[in-house]
Amino acid sequence: MFDTIDFLNYLVNGSLVGLLYALIAMGFIVIYRASKVFNFAQGELVVFGGFIVWWMVIQTGLPLFVALPLAMAVSAIFGLIIERIFFSRLVGESSFAMVMVTIGLLILIRGLILLIFGPQVRPFPIIFALKPVIIGDILIPRSLLIGAVITVIVGLGLSWFFNNTRAGLKMTAVAEDHQVALSMGISVKRSIAFAWALGAVLSTLGAIIYLSGKSLNFLASDIGLSALPVALLAGFESIAGVLLAGLIVGAVQGLVTAYVDPVVGGAVGSVFPFVIMLVILFIRPTGMFGWRTIERV
Amino acid sequence: MDPAGIFATSFARDAALVRTRPQQIALALFLIFLLALPILFGPRLLAISTLILISSVIVLGLQVTTGYAGQINLGQAAFMGVGAYTTGFLATKLGFPFWLTIPLGGCSAAVFGFIFGLSAVRIKGFYLALTTIAAQALFHFFVLNLPWFGGSNGLTLDPASLFGFAFATDISIYYLCLAVAALMTFGAYGIVRGRYGRAFVAVRDDDVAAGIMGIDVVAIKATAFLVGAFYAGVGGGLWAYFVRFVAVDQFTLFNSIWFIAMIIVGGMGSITGALVGVVVIKCIQEAFVSLGPSVVSQFPSIGGDVVFSLMNVFLGSVIAAFLIFEPRGLMHRWNILKRSYRTWPFPY
Repeated sequence: MFDTIDFLNYLVNGSLVGLLYALIAMGFIVIYRASKVFNFAQGELVVFGGFIVWWMVIQTGLPLFVALPLAMAVSAIFGLIIERIFFSRLVGESSFAMVMVTIGLLILIRGLILLIFGPQVRPFPIIFALKPVIIGDILIPRSLLIGAVITVIVGLGLSWFFNNTRAGLKMTAVAEDHQVALSMGISVKRSIAFAWALGAVLSTLGAIIYLSGKSLNFLASDIGLSALPVALLAGFESIAGVLLAGLIVGAVQGLVTAYVDPVVGGAVGSVFPFVIMLVILFIRPTGMFGWRTIERV
Repeated sequence: MDPAGIFATSFARDAALVRTRPQQIALALFLIFLLALPILFGPRLLAISTLILISSVIVLGLQVTTGYAGQINLGQAAFMGVGAYTTGFLATKLGFPFWLTIPLGGCSAAVFGFIFGLSAVRIKGFYLALTTIAAQALFHFFVLNLPWFGGSNGLTLDPASLFGFAFATDISIYYLCLAVAALMTFGAYGIVRGRYGRAFVAVRDDDVAAGIMGIDVVAIKATAFLVGAFYAGVGGGLWAYFVRFVAVDQFTLFNSIWFIAMIIVGGMGSITGALVGVVVIKCIQEAFVSLGPSVVSQFPSIGGDVVFSLMNVFLGSVIAAFLIFEPRGLMHRWNILKRSYRTWPFPY
């Protein structure tokens, strides 16, 4: 009845998907960590990045090693434009207003994507070879494995950057309090601009790993919401913690999809992260590694 | 503020909703207009008006939760869906009459909303908003997997009927929605002016101060969700009888976002603002939808989907622009105008 190899397969693949969520969640966290804005439009940024890559590789026919860095640069500029148009005007406003603006952005970016690229389903370029990696008896999609390595490297690098460098600590100060940061001589605007550029680049990276060899349309933005529980489990401030959180959520989701779904006959796996999210919110709202600053009543 | 020369001399007058004779006349004219609307408008505009009435009920609830009590609620469409499904289930499977199913739909949505509002015990701010996103996901899951709701096929309803009279035509369902919406609007004015409404505003403005004043902050936040979800549930019930078909993809996160857009444009913390926001956003949506095909037929190079995406672009920019330039919405502009008119020629 119980098959160890199957179990390992589900576990490993679930964890790797979890690391993909972690990469998307890193976009949330970077923007939160440097500007105190919770970005509901993260999923749309992923789709935008995906479409930029699609356009450059499939439509324009650029080789991958040119197209991918160029796509990242374009999405960084897109992040900067968002900051310049919307958030530079909102410095010092309530976080309520900022969160609401990201909701407006969600509709706006979705509309822009539909306007520019249309609602059709597009084939996404194959960036990582489709042939799975086989270790022992475990089959692993190549894109997820390479993606996981990239995620871990990026996560540890960003974590070092935010905790150990002067620029990173400045941004951390902005996340704590805009006014205090301003009075310390830190440029809040520059920090927010950097956050959005970085968030957009991370989203594009996430799109490349998530979509490689699959199809792409605007509905791919759902991954933004799926990544939310990961960010929450880690705590919104911890970049390295999100790696561990991604592993946990992904592994649990993978196992639930494999073993509970057939019993119940439904998509328990897809809703399970939200159950985790609710449980975290009730038991430990700061997540595993968040700062203990969440105001409690 | 009241116009010059109007002084309340009794408590009843000070508490009155309609304060002056011109206001009474304006309200009466507006009600006559609403009652005569089926005669004035064609079937398409009538259907849009019915949709506006249904949305107003839902958005009034959101206004109480988000505009008055300051709790971001991204699950209003899910709460609406709970109401719609409860109504549909009670009407089709148990054969309840509509005057029972709609309030019961509201109550079940209220319970659902209250559960999520209770998370205010532990958390606040936008973390609370995240629980409402979870509400959205859980709603989809339960509807698709519990055996009573027809799964992905949805539920099909018979028309509402009262003493043998069936609300089957567009005009009769319009009057049903109008009656319910008027009742709910009146109720909303009552709630926000009363003890609970003041507690909502106090919690929104500063919950620590509100707690020190003796307000049970957690209970008030949960109550705000309860009231908001009740309104959503009633609106969902009306929706079920209007469309007579309930399916899970009518209640998505995107719909919740539209509802939030309506209160942002209309004005946070104003019942009238909620109504204004619904009318403005719905009219813009319908303008795009109905003008779109004719524009496309004139210029065939523009595809039909361009119209839909332009609508999203336009409304996304409208939301952002309102938050940046006028966070208090159209109603605030109107109040500024009214005030300056009343105090003219003096600045204040």
